[in-house]
Amino acid sequence: MGKWLPFEWIAASRFLREGRMQSIAIVLGVSIGVGVIVFMSAALSAQMGNIIRRVLSAQAHIVLLPPKEVARPLRGEPGTAQAAIVQKPFQRVRSIDQWQRLLRETQYMPAVAAAAPSASGSLLAVRGEATRAVTLTGVDPDTYFRIVPLPEKVVSGTARLGSEDIIVGAELASDLGVVVGDKLRIVPGAGEGVALTVTALVDLGSKGVNQRTAYVALHTAQALLGLAGGASSIDVTVHDIYAAEDVAKAIEAASGVEADSWIRTNSQFFTAINAQRVANTTIRLFVALAIAFGIAAVLIVSVVQKSREIGILRAMGASRGQILRVFLLQGAVLGLTGSLFGCAIAAAGIAVWERYVIDATGAPLLPIGYDWTIFAGAAVLATLTGLASAIWPALRGARLDPVVAIRG
Amino acid sequence: MAEPVLRLEGLRKAYNPGTPLEVEVLHGIDFTLAAGEFCALMGPSGSGKSTLLNIIGLLDRPGGGRILIQGRDATGLDDAALTRLRGRSIGFVFQYHHLLPAFTAAENVLMPMLVDRGRPDAEMRSRAAELLESVQLTPWRDNLASNMSGGQQQRVAVARALAMNPALLLADEPTGNLDSRSAQAVFDLMRRVNRERGTTVLIVTHNQALAAQCDRIVELVDGRIVSDHRKKGSTGGDASAAPCDA
Repeated sequence: MGKWLPFEWIAASRFLREGRMQSIAIVLGVSIGVGVIVFMSAALSAQMGNIIRRVLSAQAHIVLLPPKEVARPLRGEPGTAQAAIVQKPFQRVRSIDQWQRLLRETQYMPAVAAAAPSASGSLLAVRGEATRAVTLTGVDPDTYFRIVPLPEKVVSGTARLGSEDIIVGAELASDLGVVVGDKLRIVPGAGEGVALTVTALVDLGSKGVNQRTAYVALHTAQALLGLAGGASSIDVTVHDIYAAEDVAKAIEAASGVEADSWIRTNSQFFTAINAQRVANTTIRLFVALAIAFGIAAVLIVSVVQKSREIGILRAMGASRGQILRVFLLQGAVLGLTGSLFGCAIAAAGIAVWERYVIDATGAPLLPIGYDWTIFAGAAVLATLTGLASAIWPALRGARLDPVVAIRG
Repeated sequence: MAEPVLRLEGLRKAYNPGTPLEVEVLHGIDFTLAAGEFCALMGPSGSGKSTLLNIIGLLDRPGGGRILIQGRDATGLDDAALTRLRGRSIGFVFQYHHLLPAFTAAENVLMPMLVDRGRPDAEMRSRAAELLESVQLTPWRDNLASNMSGGQQQRVAVARALAMNPALLLADEPTGNLDSRSAQAVFDLMRRVNRERGTTVLIVTHNQALAAQCDRIVELVDGRIVSDHRKKGSTGGDASAAPCDA
């Protein structure tokens, strides 16, 4: 008998041990269920994390832009319009009004991780005979690299941005035939342009983007784009990527600038991710239900088998509450034990996955990793499920009429 | 005079009350057990003995009348209070010994104390050991209940019934499925408990030979007490008690 454990623990553990086969069978069932949930959740979150990292690491979560320019009809006499047809204006490269203040305000929002100004526009990159249109983004490397970690995307060279340096996309470099250390001339629509030194080639994850992207220092871009002291956009990262749209709306409402979140600019991608999350949750729910019914079934049978013992215990003065707790505990113990084995199964599954599902270089195709929050969450959830599924059988046991129970 | 251990006043019980299938099995029982009595309850099957014993043991509720345990009216108590009173004042020995098969002999004896106080302590263990010793089962203390003979199990059951030192020991055909030697041993054990501890004992039995060794024999027929005999020189009891139904 357990040393100084309370009555409920002693009785629950003894009953579980007495119905050994049932206990083992249901623990196995719970283990498999929890193992599947944990492995699936870990794999899915790793996969989503992977995709999101690929998509979001090359772009800011939220981009703040000056409000769109709108053409308004001229007003004449009240009630009359002078121009009946109004053409949409083209969007000039403009600075955000008072961008320093907006940057400061945005940086201090609790949901925001980092914010950095940038000046970008379309220019021509020229080397000898070759000319390419490029999207030139001028950034302050210290703050901008916290949003888009360019140093991690370097294919060759080092991500350095002095006032005469330029970082170019890998495809753009091969189109123009430049390598690290070469000079590249950037030419604005009018004027001479400047010659910059290529310090690094980067791979931003998409060929199209690599073909037309170049980074320079913020003030270099300001000079080339005619935005003296200005910033055409502010890039923002947030702590919770799924809250990006809400944060963007809050910034829009507060400042009047246009705030585009990654959710809005990648709406199809976001829908796909969301669908996967919903599917994952649904599967988890149904596996949890299956576990719950399994435990409940075992305990209902156990209550019937143990009804005589319940009657004897009641005859010696055990209260309904004590009987209730004995069976609730059994449910919780089954859930917890099953979930611990399940976590072990999942951990083994992940190890096998990372060992055998590998690419040509021997690195895992999709590293899953051991996210302890998923394991702990599954264990807590399975224990609570066990407890909840024991409620009905436990109530049945507690309500047994001792006279009937003893007669058998 | 001391408060009687058990007092029944006009006790009635019907099954399926309020339906066309209503059957009254106890028709107004008046009965008193004084402290220290050793009483046999006899009667043919179907006479209501078990029903009466279940009501006295607070496992069942009467349909009418009153039941007092050591002067305390148990009629109106709620389930929790009944359970507490049952655990502390009444010990049961059932016909089929009804030990908990998953527990050892010692643990079975300890169980009523554990249920009452919530968690085991050294005092409980030593009391359980003492009780097992008094039924001469110390060598079997760590045997699972399911691995003992019928007579041994029933002796464990008696030891268990005494764990809370109850005022009243109820035995429902305690020797019903034992051979005559084991039956006599279990009976002698209860007799000794009665004599040494002063525990009041009420035994339901069909066994004439054992009943004859009791101090008092009450006979129940068709839900009524038809005779109530007391041996000369027996202790306690209300001498004026008479058959309540002629």
